[in-house]
Amino acid sequence: MRVVDALIETRGLMKTYGSFGALNGLDLRVMPGEIYGLLGPNGAGKTTTLRITAGLIEPTRGSVVVSRFDATKDPLHAKAQIGYVAEVPILYESLTPRALLEFEGSVRGLAKEPMNHWARQLAEAFEVASAFDTPIATLSMGTKQKVAIIAALIHQPPVLLLDEPLNSLDARSSRILKELLSLHVQRGGAVLFSTHVMEIAQRLCSRIGIIFGGKIVAEGDLDQLRARAGEKDATLEEVFMKLTNEASEVENTVRTLRESFFDDEDR
Amino acid sequence: MKTADAWRLSAVPYSEMAFRSILQNSSNMWWGSFGRGSSEPSGREDLVERALRIARFDKLIITVFVIVAAGAPFLPQALGASYGVSASVTLSLAVSFALIILYGVQTLSSFVTSGPSPVLSTLPLVRNDISLVNLLSFVRTSDYLVVGSVACQVFFVLLVTGSALSGIFMLLAGATNSVLGVGVALWLSSVFYRNILGSKQGKRGGMLRIALLLAWGVVVLGIGVLFAAAGYLIPLVQSVLTSPNALAGSILSLLYPFSLGISVGSIAHGFASSMVERMALGATVGYLLIAVAVSKWSMSSVASFPESARIATEGERTRDTSVPLHKPVAAYAMKDLRVASANLPSAFLFALPAFETLVVLLIRAFLPTLGASTILVAMTLGGMFSLVLPLVLVSSEGVGFDFAKTMPLRIRTIAFSKALIATAVFLSAVAVVYVESLLKPMASPFSILIPLASILAVAAASLLEVRLFLGFAPSGRATFVLQEFARMAAGAGVVILPATTYAVAYILTFNHALAAGSMIAVASAELLAVADFVRQS
Repeated sequence: MRVVDALIETRGLMKTYGSFGALNGLDLRVMPGEIYGLLGPNGAGKTTTLRITAGLIEPTRGSVVVSRFDATKDPLHAKAQIGYVAEVPILYESLTPRALLEFEGSVRGLAKEPMNHWARQLAEAFEVASAFDTPIATLSMGTKQKVAIIAALIHQPPVLLLDEPLNSLDARSSRILKELLSLHVQRGGAVLFSTHVMEIAQRLCSRIGIIFGGKIVAEGDLDQLRARAGEKDATLEEVFMKLTNEASEVENTVRTLRESFFDDEDR
Repeated sequence: MKTADAWRLSAVPYSEMAFRSILQNSSNMWWGSFGRGSSEPSGREDLVERALRIARFDKLIITVFVIVAAGAPFLPQALGASYGVSASVTLSLAVSFALIILYGVQTLSSFVTSGPSPVLSTLPLVRNDISLVNLLSFVRTSDYLVVGSVACQVFFVLLVTGSALSGIFMLLAGATNSVLGVGVALWLSSVFYRNILGSKQGKRGGMLRIALLLAWGVVVLGIGVLFAAAGYLIPLVQSVLTSPNALAGSILSLLYPFSLGISVGSIAHGFASSMVERMALGATVGYLLIAVAVSKWSMSSVASFPESARIATEGERTRDTSVPLHKPVAAYAMKDLRVASANLPSAFLFALPAFETLVVLLIRAFLPTLGASTILVAMTLGGMFSLVLPLVLVSSEGVGFDFAKTMPLRIRTIAFSKALIATAVFLSAVAVVYVESLLKPMASPFSILIPLASILAVAAASLLEVRLFLGFAPSGRATFVLQEFARMAAGAGVVILPATTYAVAYILTFNHALAAGSMIAVASAELLAVADFVRQS
């Protein structure tokens, strides 16, 4: 029996900048219907993983397959399957949202009527219709993020790569995005999602991969991660600290800070 | 805060402002291929370093250019010509005034759009200190230019007149000129960016943007004419000033910067003796007062930028979210034009090919017919300047290029779109030649084919240039600039080859028909070969 193909699969992914290894043999699979949360400390390799998968940078070694298309050998087909939201919105800032979507829709060869219908729904959902003719450069960070999300969703791709997508979003838009992601995976899509916020990862993701030192050190749902960490009733944050060996380090740092804090007060 | 401390501290917001202004005006920085390779973290760090390096280089180059331009009008007199000093001072002031505005608009845009440094407002500094630091970082934008041009003008006036009083007056006139230039630049930046970036971009906004860009292009081309015709202008202006026609002299004496020029000149040979000189002196006092007012306005504007520079972002609710769609090449070209036209200083680059063609035709205006050699030179020069555009358009992409990289785009789509724009812009140069051919008979009817062959050559050259530019990553910093010039040289070769073919064929056969036919054949072959090469990408 044929096993269902993963929508995202990385094998032995490596990326080095000079002597620094940002990724050191990262393997992960994201299946259809899955929201996979990448959780890791700063510099662990989350953004690099997403950027390589999106085709923005090339891996030093290893492979990325998106919807059965090899992202390095067949980037055009792979990119057609992806919607990507960067940690900091990357957009043509002198364009207006309308001109940006005009550019994107044309380059992606989208059909006019369905695209316009979807664009209108997204613009109203994220409340950016009033900014449709305003240069992106002058929009607030939150509105820029909404425009980046709409640009990532406009072609209804099967794969979404989201790097801290809830950054700068207001509560309403966060809620709408989370609902959209649920609908997306219900329809068989996949989401690779990076975040620092444990609560979001715990609530939103069907599986979580803990990335540390450029590798996935543990993955699974919360129970599997607890079992891996040997902490039966621990929260995701406690599990994360344990698996990334940061628990004792954090304790020491807090102790030192507390001492110097109260020393200063005594003085 | 002491002024010395504020001056030291102002270096930080100045660097930040220079960086942001390079980000905004990256299309001007094609020589550093700014904006490419930004996806890699190391590339992004390099981008910052490159931006600051370009800013320093840019300021230095412009300063040298301003000094040369401010000094050039004095050269005939320094070499013993018998013109009066008034025309030279006038032209020198006009040129340095225009260059200060040009540079200022490019650099001051980031002051206008977001203030020099919002970070300052978060530090425990009192408002007056923040204002002082902002003011000094603003002064840093034009310090070399102003000091360089004024020192050069004073030096030449002292050299030519030998009068210390004239030197002092020149110093005053130069300072007035610089204050007015910086003030106008600040005002222009403010008008442009508030109207373009701060407004809704409907049809009205689009028209306004085109109108402002055209106006700016005309100003820049006007400066070009000043340079090109300096040799004719100095004696012309001097003859008007000394002519018995009192009306012409009187009008000029009231106009800026003629008043200042006439005043400096009159002081060189004793105080204002004629009516024209007395009127000029009166007008100069008026301009001095205006300069004082302008400097006060500039300082208060700059000092209050952190609070006042916010550009309006909200407006009336738009219900229409319809998005038109096009073919990918057309969409990419439209995007490029929109990005490039949001940037005031790049406007004149679009007018450059036609302008250079016009200059060649003007230089040969004395010839009774429009010869093949004139058309060949004009088209080749226009074509060469068209080749700057594809690189400008690549650089204009800036950090936004990462957005394009996430889409299923082939290099050939990008190459064809940028070549399309470069070729379309070159058509303006072709139009200039055809208009000239209506005014002046052609030496040979077959010469009419030269511009057509040139269109093919420019299309091939710009395609090749973009393909080489996007297709191969630079291998190291030391070879970076060399590689860029090598790519441009390849494009230039493609433009020159058909023209050379025409010349060689004509020398061998003395037959214009055969020469034109050969030129078209070579240009067509080039375009087919390059298109095939690009199509494979």
